[in-house]
Amino acid sequence: MNTVSAPSAAQYLETRGGLPPAAAAAAQAASKHLIFSLGKEEFAVPVAKVKEIIGMLEVTPVPHTPPYVRGVINLRGKVVPVIDLRAKLGVPTAEYDERTCIIVVQPEMARSVYLIGVIVDGVSEVMPVQSADIEKTETFSHGLISANYVQGVAKIRGKVKILLDLDCVISQADLRQII
Amino acid sequence: MSVEADLLTWIDSLIVETLAFSPEEGIPGGARMATLAGLCASIAPTAHSLGMAETAACAERLGSQIASPGPDFVAFLEQQIELLQLNADGELAARLSQQRVAAGGPAEIFQDRSMIGDFIGEAREHLEMIEQELLLLEQSPQNPEPIHAIFRSFHTIKGLAGIFNLTSTRDLAHEVETLLDLVRNGALPATPSLVDVVLACADRLGEIVNLLAEDLGDEGVPLPDNTALLERLRNQMMPPDDDPVLEAAGVPVAAGNVMPVAAGNVLPAAVLPESDNVLPVAAESDPAAARRRASDSSSAQVKVDTSKLDFLVDMVGELVIAQSLVQQDPSVVQFGDPRLGRNLAQLGRITTDLQKTAMSLRVVPIRQTFQRMQRAFRDLVKKSGKQAELELIGEDAELDRSIVEQLADPLMHMIRNSVDHGLEAPGEREQTGKPSTGKVRLAASHQSGNVLIEISDDGRGLNRTKILKKAIERGLIPADANLPVDKILELIFEPGFSTADQISDVSGRGVGMDVVKKQIQKLRGRIEIRSEPGIGTTFLLRFPLTLAIIDGLTIRVSGERYILPLHCVQEIFRPEADSIYRVKGTQEVVLIRDRVIPLLRLYQLLGRTPERTDPYSGILISIELEGRRYCLLVDELLGKQEVVIKNLGEYFSAIPGVSGGAILGDGCVGLILDLEGLLSKESFDAAA
Repeated sequence: MNTVSAPSAAQYLETRGGLPPAAAAAAQAASKHLIFSLGKEEFAVPVAKVKEIIGMLEVTPVPHTPPYVRGVINLRGKVVPVIDLRAKLGVPTAEYDERTCIIVVQPEMARSVYLIGVIVDGVSEVMPVQSADIEKTETFSHGLISANYVQGVAKIRGKVKILLDLDCVISQADLRQII
Repeated sequence: MSVEADLLTWIDSLIVETLAFSPEEGIPGGARMATLAGLCASIAPTAHSLGMAETAACAERLGSQIASPGPDFVAFLEQQIELLQLNADGELAARLSQQRVAAGGPAEIFQDRSMIGDFIGEAREHLEMIEQELLLLEQSPQNPEPIHAIFRSFHTIKGLAGIFNLTSTRDLAHEVETLLDLVRNGALPATPSLVDVVLACADRLGEIVNLLAEDLGDEGVPLPDNTALLERLRNQMMPPDDDPVLEAAGVPVAAGNVMPVAAGNVLPAAVLPESDNVLPVAAESDPAAARRRASDSSSAQVKVDTSKLDFLVDMVGELVIAQSLVQQDPSVVQFGDPRLGRNLAQLGRITTDLQKTAMSLRVVPIRQTFQRMQRAFRDLVKKSGKQAELELIGEDAELDRSIVEQLADPLMHMIRNSVDHGLEAPGEREQTGKPSTGKVRLAASHQSGNVLIEISDDGRGLNRTKILKKAIERGLIPADANLPVDKILELIFEPGFSTADQISDVSGRGVGMDVVKKQIQKLRGRIEIRSEPGIGTTFLLRFPLTLAIIDGLTIRVSGERYILPLHCVQEIFRPEADSIYRVKGTQEVVLIRDRVIPLLRLYQLLGRTPERTDPYSGILISIELEGRRYCLLVDELLGKQEVVIKNLGEYFSAIPGVSGGAILGDGCVGLILDLEGLLSKESFDAAA
């Protein structure tokens, strides 16, 4: 499948037996994150997990799936499932507009290579997040979002970014239960 | 390496020199003979000095033959030179590996995944070839071709095993080679028991290769013990004193005569090598055909990773869609420039050709699967003590790669049934006036866009009374059921029909015919039985040419487009006034030509909010599923089209009622409905 999408450098290093300890520490100290918005909140996910970002496409609904599963899209010939992050996190849904986009990610625990699209309100930038800036979830509680999905929060330039656990968000565990 | 290089150069010159010879010419002239003698004289001592004993011996034999040429000189020369070359290659490789081992140890070599992977791939190919050639040899023991091919393959495996320092494997291959050399020189006849031993050795090598494949990169793969096999091999090398007339004449020895030695006996009936993920684009496993074709060298082949192939096919599908999007684009159509039109038409033609070619990459001849059956059949017949032959017809018929791959299990099961249950014992056959040797036929052919596979035997046929009795015993049908003949036969496909008491050593794994039917349906195939008592049984399997494309009916339900597989669709019509009823307030039905058929509203099955609920404003599609008829209510019919099936992926693996997606003409995804799943969901919901 590497013809379809080249693995990211981090994944490559991971498969080659991991980064040397010093480099790993440095990478962790400041890893690049994609910042996107959902309502008033700003979220951050590691860039390494993101395959690509595309504008909103026409979604074909799939029957007998939970409401947050919007359906499938045609990503250059591949049929890719998309989920609505607002619906998944329990944030009131909004109309899709021209800022709405789909972040295409590759789940880590997948047995085979496949992609999932995550619909968000809009992406803003890619920025390094220092590990020193991250506060772990234990000490964090957010009114709206289940703590399961949150890895921590980071304060950058005075603004709070929620570090989202993407693998947890797109895990099918709950999907399996429904079917 | 310079001495080794010299040696190889000399051997090459030797080959070049003899290329000009022809058997009709007789013994060549003195000048040429002198060149040959000179070459041999150089090769022998050099090989000795490198410790390549066999090569040296070969060269010496050659030298002495050249000094005093006998009858059939040219043929002998060619054979010896080939042997010389093989020996030199093998021994050089072994030398090389020893040097490498001395330098870095075996672990290092093992860790080179790609190298051991190459070994595995190549060894499997050779083992497959060995198997086929052995079966050929058994049929015509006098034919020298197979034995040469087998010899060459074992030799290559030996060389490869040497490189990877797999000493026991190399030794086993070497022993087989020694035995085969005796057969080749006419010192031993190619008896069935000899073929058995060589097959057992090939199986063992296959096991070793599989172990290596599983444990890639692990230096400590525990390899099986070959002592018993080697013992068997050496026994074979004894001149056949006990039964010389029978064996030398190539008469098949009764199965009981072959004493199975422990190690040989525990081998699985058919350890069949299957190369992971790599397939020959045009499967070429028939070595005889390969040789024929190699001579005109017109069709060269490459091996391609299947995922690359799938990607190519996917992308071509995309190209077709993109091309039609451009061609139908309103601004292009409006433009109406004739040159643009011509160019677009040309683009269209090229795209179509490309698509056809890409699709043809997905199909492979069924030959490989058939040949696997031949091997299994041979073992089955030997075990059962019956006499039977397998006839293969239409091995060149091509069908979807994945069908070919997944067909092996059900076919094997049906052939097992034929041998075990279908064919009678020789005595019984003679009593009923049949030839004592039973016949099983495996035939493939193309028929009206489908592939038809036929498995037939001339055995006793299915016993209808017994089937009925058993079905009633198992509670599959009521005791007073009055079934037509074909329905009785179909009972054997019912789950729970086949039971443990049916399983014999030969009939195997306890897989019933219901599993066979399921496997075939999974491949979108259909199965039929025909059986005449006393005459035989035939199973007919029908498959689509490819699993990648489906003939679909595009429909609209509540604003969404779906695709129905066309093969289930029987009729499409608008409901007549007052033809829809609700029986007892539960299931809606339609009355068509005095038949009452359940009406299913597709929007309900799909859990969609309906656009309109009045069935008279929609369209009814009558379908047949497992012998029952249903009518589906849809909003609109959009047309019939061939679509490329795309997997919805792991995320949706368990969605009932949807078998995949297809990219429609406008680039959107349409879901392909799986009616069976949809209706079982329905019945599930209704029950809950």
